[in-house]
Amino acid sequence: MQIFIQTIVTGLVTGCLYALIALGYSMVYGVLKLLNFAHGDLYMVGAFIGYYIIQWFGGSSALIIPVWLVIIVMLLVSAVAVGGLGVAIERFAYRPLRDAPRIAPLITALGISFILEDSVLLLFGGYVRSYNTPSFIPYSASFHISGVNISSMQVLIVALSVAMMAGLFVLVNRTLFGKSMRAVASDREAAEMLGINVNRTIAMTFFVGSAMAGVAGVMSGLANEPISNIIGFLAGLKAFTAAVVGGIGSIPGAMVGGLVIGFCEAFSASYISSQYSDLIVFGILIATMLIRPQGIFGTPPLQKV
Amino acid sequence: MKARRLFIGALGVMALASVTIFGATSSAHVAKVAAAKCSTSISVEAPYATGPATQQGLEQLHFAQYAVAADNKAFGIHVSLGKNDTGLNPALATTVTNSVVASGAVAAVGPAGSQEVEAIGPIYAKAGMAFISGSATNSALTTSGANPTFFRVVAPDAVQGPQDANYIIKKLKPKAVLIIDDEEAYSTGLVSVMQPILANAGITVNHQSYNGTDTGATLQSDMSSLVSSQLNPSETVVILPWQSAPNANLFATTMAAAGKTATIFGTDGTDSPGQFVASGAYVSNFGPDISTSKSKLDKAIVKGVAKFGPYGSFGLPTYAATDVLMRAIASVCKAGKKPSRSNVLAAVKKTKIPAGQTPLGLNIAFKSDGDLKNGVFYLFHINAKGTYVPVPTKA
Amino acid sequence: MAPIGVDEWVARSGERREQMSGPRRLLEMAGERVSWWQRLAMLAIAGFVFGQLGFNLNIDTVAFNSVLYAILALGLNIVVGWAGLLDLGYIAFFGFGSYGYALLSSHAFGSLVNFSGGVHLPIIAIIPIVLVAAGLVGVLIGLVALRLHGDYLAIVTLFVGQAFVEVVNNIDPTLFGGNNGLFGLDPWHGFGGSIGSVHGYYYAALVMLIILMAGLHLLDGSRTGRAWRALRDDPLAAEAMTVPVNLLKVMAFSFGAIVAALAGVVFAAQQGSVFPTNFQSSVLILIYACLVLGGVGGIAGAVLGGITVTVVEAMLRSPTDSSYLFYGLILLAILVRVRPWQRMVAMLVAIAAFGLVMRAIVGAISHAAISGPHGSIGWIGTVMRHWVIVPTGSITFGNILYAVLICALILIVRLHGIWRFVLIVPTVYAAACCWESRLIVDTGITAQIVLGAILVVMMAARPSGLLGTRRVEVL
Repeated sequence: MQIFIQTIVTGLVTGCLYALIALGYSMVYGVLKLLNFAHGDLYMVGAFIGYYIIQWFGGSSALIIPVWLVIIVMLLVSAVAVGGLGVAIERFAYRPLRDAPRIAPLITALGISFILEDSVLLLFGGYVRSYNTPSFIPYSASFHISGVNISSMQVLIVALSVAMMAGLFVLVNRTLFGKSMRAVASDREAAEMLGINVNRTIAMTFFVGSAMAGVAGVMSGLANEPISNIIGFLAGLKAFTAAVVGGIGSIPGAMVGGLVIGFCEAFSASYISSQYSDLIVFGILIATMLIRPQGIFGTPPLQKV
Repeated sequence: MKARRLFIGALGVMALASVTIFGATSSAHVAKVAAAKCSTSISVEAPYATGPATQQGLEQLHFAQYAVAADNKAFGIHVSLGKNDTGLNPALATTVTNSVVASGAVAAVGPAGSQEVEAIGPIYAKAGMAFISGSATNSALTTSGANPTFFRVVAPDAVQGPQDANYIIKKLKPKAVLIIDDEEAYSTGLVSVMQPILANAGITVNHQSYNGTDTGATLQSDMSSLVSSQLNPSETVVILPWQSAPNANLFATTMAAAGKTATIFGTDGTDSPGQFVASGAYVSNFGPDISTSKSKLDKAIVKGVAKFGPYGSFGLPTYAATDVLMRAIASVCKAGKKPSRSNVLAAVKKTKIPAGQTPLGLNIAFKSDGDLKNGVFYLFHINAKGTYVPVPTKA
Repeated sequence: MAPIGVDEWVARSGERREQMSGPRRLLEMAGERVSWWQRLAMLAIAGFVFGQLGFNLNIDTVAFNSVLYAILALGLNIVVGWAGLLDLGYIAFFGFGSYGYALLSSHAFGSLVNFSGGVHLPIIAIIPIVLVAAGLVGVLIGLVALRLHGDYLAIVTLFVGQAFVEVVNNIDPTLFGGNNGLFGLDPWHGFGGSIGSVHGYYYAALVMLIILMAGLHLLDGSRTGRAWRALRDDPLAAEAMTVPVNLLKVMAFSFGAIVAALAGVVFAAQQGSVFPTNFQSSVLILIYACLVLGGVGGIAGAVLGGITVTVVEAMLRSPTDSSYLFYGLILLAILVRVRPWQRMVAMLVAIAAFGLVMRAIVGAISHAAISGPHGSIGWIGTVMRHWVIVPTGSITFGNILYAVLICALILIVRLHGIWRFVLIVPTVYAAACCWESRLIVDTGITAQIVLGAILVVMMAARPSGLLGTRRVEVL
């Protein structure tokens, strides 16, 4: 029973991280019909930014300002910086390809992924770093409830993710920007004809999606995961699976998909074996594609002759 | 615009010419270097730029660079060192080995990983080139017969496995242990050696695996599951024969966060003072820590390698490996011959370095299969400050 | 006036075809005079002669790799270019062929069947077995693909590709070798002889390439080829016109799988070993780069792309030649894009002068600032030595310069006219300094960055590739 609850906690935390990255994927796909393979690398850049902010403030064992302030600064700076990076990438790499055959933006995304990963490798080296979270957040700051262990970082991750997803929900459904985003996703030309500034909407969408990926990167680092230039690949792949299972292009879909994938991974690692959890996740994806290709919340694609 | 057309045409011709020069210059450059007195080149293969073990790879690279610089001066020879990153990846190691062989080097240092040696051993054997590793410890590398030109200056797992297992049995006295492999040959090889010894001593062995190439949230999920579901309360020792020190550290912090207090025992792949800092853990390694030694040679080495990069005990055997090659080349030149792959290989086989002239603390001589005669393993204990404290291995 | 029975619009298609200008027009006109088969024969002769020129092991390996990637690009072209199916799992077929060869010519099966030595078949037996098996797997994947369209097909195939690597990595390490792969594979042997060197495999691959090109050309011109083109342009309309869409999709996957497996057989034999990491997504991206840069949809484009990308990548990895490529590309970009020629000459002179002046100034201030380690090798290094600034702390300097360079490039794209000209001069100089001080030190990393940059720039400038024609997609 204890293992069951502990697995739920692990699944929840992992799922929230995947959901945050998957949201960026889904939003970008919704407005541009583009599978942005460089998205995972934005997550990686966010993790690096958080690491260097800790170093700037004295290093993980000797922080010169209070921990909560460092965390807030990390999250804000990472969100803004990675969001900006996403906007820049869209402006210079994807905008010229709005009307090109579908394979061109795909290749460009892969090229951007190469550039991001290897630039980080070039500038910062391949040394695997970690935030060393136990140095500034001691183990005693965790909750023990009848044998189940929940660290304060895990609580922070889940709380922050839920808050961001709620905020995104409000943004998409209650604000003007959200409305224009949904309009552009539905039919770009019609939206343009109705006077919506499509370029600005797409740029804002990229900003929000990339900012969420950046925040996910910082939270990964806070969970003391090793940070290197290749972490973007697997994270992107898992988040991509989550977005597709939930219905690509749909925002509640990305959230639910992330949680589904997170739970499946945690449960298969706990009860079957860590070895096969990746394969099981892939199997779920393929099964979803065969049974319900549009995902849980997606709409079946229209085919026009 | 004829002028512009001519320009573009000339550029195209230049491009074509450069492709043809491609082949010519690569070999011509090496030929020019070899023409000077006792002038030759060797190459080092280490995972210093990509892959999960860049910290260790950088240590090895720096020690190799220092050894070449110091021995060039000491023996009055002129050996240049090429460097190749293998990323601990056998496929990449195969590619770089092919280019090392094509570059005209007479011998090589490295690679770091046992799986890489398995992949490139036949290539070097076919080229008749000696290659000496400072960290590939899988016992089968020398017994399989597939790598006749392979040597190593570290003891194999057949020494590390029993030494570690016996230390655990006699000093840590667990009733049950959890041993986790990361699905690579190094890891599974050590598990297959240690598991029977532990089982024979009456200890219950719980053997689990996880995908060593996972990163990020997936890795965290793996570690959490291992700690919460696979680590039983009766298992007081956890053995992690991994090649990634950061992953081992993540396991340690996850375990501490869950409030569990098993002792972690890591093998040489986890030896990385900057990355694996779990207080109370043990790390077994094939190289001693000479940073506190008073011997003149040791102090010179520690000071000398600092010019290339920070000192680390994982990389120290690579100094010895490079030293062996440099001495072999020097002896060939002293006998009046030009260094070639075959005579350097023969000289390496006859290597005899007394313990006083090497930092490893033992005589260096090779058995006929390439293994060190009388290799030993060292043990460290990590204290509360994260420092690696040497510990006597005799129980 | 159009001939009777021919639609006016169709009759004028020749005029509407994209008119190329300059040297390309000459090439195109020359190309039209020579028939396709004559061109193929010329390629075969050129390839054979190149092999006879007696280069060293390095060039042999690059030549072999170019032919290998040309074959892979051809196979991918069948699925993506002809049938219009976005297959991101193509690498799995390549891996299937390689592992198939490995299992049939090493000790791997020895663990499963009670053979002590495993199965060691001659190549004449291996090729049919592997090709038939690959064809069947292709049919299987094709059947799965029938239910999916567009991006969903891409997603599923991507995961099939990933799953292949996972399976081969984890399932039964005694049979598949697990993480460490299978090695000690037999070379191609049969009829008493065997191929022992890269050089031999180069010829074998060349023969395979020529046969493939011939076969695919015939296929392209046949009813199946036309049906595939109809399928690519509009699947629903094709189906409405009684084109057997399902059969064609399955056939496309199957043919693509067979070609990839063929490449896999020769790759595994040449490497002498096979690892899961040989089939990671980075290799898939490379194959896509070959196809897309060459121009999707044409045989010549795929082959040209395969050869070009491999040669460029090999040049980038060797310290001597990457400098040639780097400076050559910059020079080419300036020569081709800056018009009129007076402006181009002015720019080149300005760059050279700017560099010399900067170096003189900085050298006068501090000698340490220009006495850093040697950058490029050879004559180009000697020239650059006297032109660029490389301080003793070259790595940090290079890193900072790299970041500045990225910002400068972004700015250049946003500016126009005289400001752009003014900014390009110091940017090119900064690029050269960054190259000499930092980028040339780790050629493996730089090769990846430059490859990524080439992909991005190429797609922005010419999405249809070098030899492709612009197609309008009906959505």
